[in-house]
Amino acid sequence: MLTEAQMMSILNGTLLTVKITIFAMIAGVLLGMIIALGRISKNKILNAISWFYVWVFRGTPLLLQLFVVYYALPLLTLDLFGSPIKLPGLTAAYLAFTINTAAYLAEVFRAGIQSIDKGQLEAGKALGMSYNQTMFKIIIPQSIRRLIPPMGNELIMLIKDTSLVASIAMFDLLRSVNQMANATGKTHYFLYAAGIYLFFTTIIQYAFGKIEKKYAAYE
Amino acid sequence: MIKLEHVYKSFGKLEVLKDINLEVKQGEVVCVIGPSGSGKSTMLRCLNHLERITSGKVYIENEIADERLNDKDVLKISQEKVQQLCTELGMVFQRFNLFPHLTVLENVMIAPKIVRKQNQEEIKSIALDLLDMVGLADKKDEYPSRLSGGQQQRVAIARALAMRPKIMLFDEPTSALDPELVGEVLEVMKKLAHEGMTMIVVTHEMGFAKEVGTRVIFMDEGRIIEEGNPKDIFDNPKEDRTKSFLKKIL
Ligand SMILES: Nc1ncnc2c1ncn2[C@@H]1O[C@H](COP(=O)(O)OP(=O)(O)OP(=O)(O)O)[C@@H](O)[C@H]1O
Ligand SMILES: [Mg+2]
Repeated sequence: MLTEAQMMSILNGTLLTVKITIFAMIAGVLLGMIIALGRISKNKILNAISWFYVWVFRGTPLLLQLFVVYYALPLLTLDLFGSPIKLPGLTAAYLAFTINTAAYLAEVFRAGIQSIDKGQLEAGKALGMSYNQTMFKIIIPQSIRRLIPPMGNELIMLIKDTSLVASIAMFDLLRSVNQMANATGKTHYFLYAAGIYLFFTTIIQYAFGKIEKKYAAYE
Repeated sequence: MIKLEHVYKSFGKLEVLKDINLEVKQGEVVCVIGPSGSGKSTMLRCLNHLERITSGKVYIENEIADERLNDKDVLKISQEKVQQLCTELGMVFQRFNLFPHLTVLENVMIAPKIVRKQNQEEIKSIALDLLDMVGLADKKDEYPSRLSGGQQQRVAIARALAMRPKIMLFDEPTSALDPELVGEVLEVMKKLAHEGMTMIVVTHEMGFAKEVGTRVIFMDEGRIIEEGNPKDIFDNPKEDRTKSFLKKIL
């Protein structure tokens, strides 16, 4: 069985994993929506910026992004401004995971919005509604149902990917059991981690299934 | 109420409207007929900025709504102005375009609610009256997907009327419907016409055009070929192209 110290360590690791996941998901949804709106906007500059964002942050490994935010940023800012900006580990993790999640979700949102019949936008416009009013009251609410499954998917990816924070000196769930395994030479600790990951991904899967059903009401 | 002056519209190299001149006065019911691809829908869509004209002038309610030359604005018209002019025009689409995530009543209420920001109770009572007018008061809490095509189109008419437009534009409102559902939609349109609504109706329903149309316009290849009162056009067309079109469809 687990000692009290081991239990605390697993608990803290789990907490970190959950914290990063929740933060990155919420912030990633907001940022991702802004970028998606930029991608479909007629404004060429917004369009180019959001395209560039997705291109860079979806096209490079998350681990690399973590390294840049945590290790390279201080060096870069030292060169540029003469004083280093060093982010605490947790802030760096929040930032990197948000940036990365937003890039993926932006593409999910863009595809979802563009899958809505063009006639809907025209109907809104013909009724005297502005582009933004039509977008937020007509188009996006309709796209939500189509966005739920890929968002659930992204959330599950995210919770598993949080184990990458081990590389910037943080103790998440996986790293804490890994340490126990190394210290004791016993591998069953990994089962605890597997169980906890499965527990969370099962909840996510179940919750998103429920939400999807709820949104299917009008079809 | 509406005036088009020397309106041209091209999609790339394809010229779809060629020197359209048209004036519609209060209370008129103008029926637009013509073969597929002749530019009937495009003409309607240019009125409420769903398409931008390439050249020419568009007036709505004696106000300039668009003035362009070779795809460039001659007169810059603000987005707010365009929106305000759009509310003078109600549009009914061939494919209804109801909002599927909203109930029938919400569909009718949404535009007044977010564009006009009127008082909720007032909007609701107007919406219920309109649903009553189109004979669908009992369906107010249904989602559009639960309605027949004819019912959906009647909701779409009520939705357009909720903004109190001065002119109604209909783009083949019955061509997506099963034949047995056409009548109920035409009935509602007749009722509107009798109440004095100014209407422009693109349609293949010659019976409707004869009965309620005050003027018929025949379009072909982007031009208005012939116009006149329904009787003259249907019984006595002057242009060969009108004759051959009417022969084909009647
Ligand atoms: N967005 C667009 N882009 C390119 N071409 C278009 C577009 N909209 C319409 N067209 C073309 O313009 C021409 C006129 O189309 P329009 O829809 O106005 O005709 P219509 O008279 O309404 O025909 P129908 O009776 O089939 O509805 C057609 O050749 C059509 O292919
Ligand atoms: Mg058409």
